[in-house]
Amino acid sequence: MLWYKSWLETRWQFLIGLVVLMLSAAGTVIAYPKVMKLMPMVPTIDVSGELGRRIREAAELARSYRGYVWSQSFGQNLTQMATLFAALLGSGSPLSQGSRGAALFTLSLPVSRNRLLTVRAAASLTELLALAVAPSLLLTLLSPAIGQSYSIKDALAHSVCLFMAGTVFFSLAFLLSTVFSDVWRPWLLACAVAVVLALCALVIPELSRYSIFRVMSGEDYFRGRGLPWLELLASAAVSVAMLYVAAKNVARQDF
Amino acid sequence: MSDRFVIETADLRKNYDGVEAVRGLSLQVSGGSIYGFLGRNGAGKTTTIKVLLGMARPTSGHARVFGLPADAEDASVEIRGRTGFVSEEKELYDYMTGEEMIRFTAPFFPRWRGDLEQRYVHTFELPLDRKVKALSRGMRTKLALLLALCRGAELLILDEPTSGLDPAMTEEVLQALVSHVASEEMTVFFSSHQIAEVDQIADHVAIIDRGRAVVTGALDDLRENFRRIQLVFDGDAPEPAFRAPGVVRVRRKGRVLTVLSSAGAERILDEARALNPVSVDVVPVTLKEIFLETVTAED
Repeated sequence: MLWYKSWLETRWQFLIGLVVLMLSAAGTVIAYPKVMKLMPMVPTIDVSGELGRRIREAAELARSYRGYVWSQSFGQNLTQMATLFAALLGSGSPLSQGSRGAALFTLSLPVSRNRLLTVRAAASLTELLALAVAPSLLLTLLSPAIGQSYSIKDALAHSVCLFMAGTVFFSLAFLLSTVFSDVWRPWLLACAVAVVLALCALVIPELSRYSIFRVMSGEDYFRGRGLPWLELLASAAVSVAMLYVAAKNVARQDF
Repeated sequence: MSDRFVIETADLRKNYDGVEAVRGLSLQVSGGSIYGFLGRNGAGKTTTIKVLLGMARPTSGHARVFGLPADAEDASVEIRGRTGFVSEEKELYDYMTGEEMIRFTAPFFPRWRGDLEQRYVHTFELPLDRKVKALSRGMRTKLALLLALCRGAELLILDEPTSGLDPAMTEEVLQALVSHVASEEMTVFFSSHQIAEVDQIADHVAIIDRGRAVVTGALDDLRENFRRIQLVFDGDAPEPAFRAPGVVRVRRKGRVLTVLSSAGAERILDEARALNPVSVDVVPVTLKEIFLETVTAED
């Protein structure tokens, strides 16, 4: 029943996230023919600096469908939105005193605090996995509709990257939810951390190779270097550590 | 500490950010009793209940329920499995319907009483298809009470069960409680600042003030032992120092000296008569008077 409760408490975050990410994936596929029509214009664009480099790189990647999908979806939209929704799913502890909390009723049940947190985290992580896998598979499913193909292996590999690196933002929000009683402060703080990390990677190019967004986008896999297992395991380890601290926080809390 | 008591606390203390919510509380609640836990707002009643249910950790001292330490995680899970609880705010899941609340709660309690569930749904006229957030406070209280009563619990802990209810609803809830306890073998520990309802249904009482129990005992014994001794003098009343035990409070006002005794009124009377009063009256006191005299004694 705790799973059911977790589902009821997170379903709207999950369903909205699913719709948004699926629309984004579908939009990427459907826009491809139009992008191809615009491609001849790209060499005439003369923009210098980082922006110009990125436009030229995107144009270069778009010469192949696989490159286009990676640069538009996994390199940008899906990664950014998965970050926001991972943080949203992690926000709002099952024991928060907010209006949806009814914490005292929950705590009056013959269930340990650890079990309450574990079920909530597991339920939300399952939803996060679905948010990572479903849009990626949609790319594979929709591609034939525009005469292209996108391998299921690529879709699943990128799903793994999206999910495992995304758990860092989920766990961060989950940890913050044991400190703050509302949903929004943990989410906003986790998003702020994501923005800071993204800016650091942008401003200091040396850091970009260690960026979590690089792991999330599966860039190494896309460029033929295989899945970044070390980075993925590091992400998982950081997530587990934050979930552990969250459990310790709740264990010593008074309600 | 003894296993004879369903609830037992010894020198229990709980501080929140340097504020002492409970200050050396010692209680003993026997099985089968209806124990009223009476105190003003902020006296430490809710904090004590939270400690008993493992929702808050004691700063020092001990709290045991069913002989199990309330601050140990595993023991606390067992305690909650044998206890029904209704919080003061009657917090339930707003996003669930009454039916969903019941279906959610029942599986946690292997001894869930389906027969009682049916009875209380009918008696309380609960609209089970309505979301909790759409229920009135009275209906929410009834649903919370149903969820506590049907657990098949040995102990019922109720924190201000009738707070926010109108008199008719209060009476309905109290009657349901009394008839439930009459038909089931269980102990009830309920906090309240409503003296009348404690007087109505409790057989034992503890009056708590500023985190400490100032009066404890069987309600009948309290009624039997507490006395108001009123002495009237020719001139201004003297300022006596009674040596007899049991003097709770002495008030002087003009020619009148009033002594509240918790026990041994005869010995106090002997001392009082030695003061040569014009008249002496000994009258029994109500729970309300005991409460008002004891909780204001330190003001």
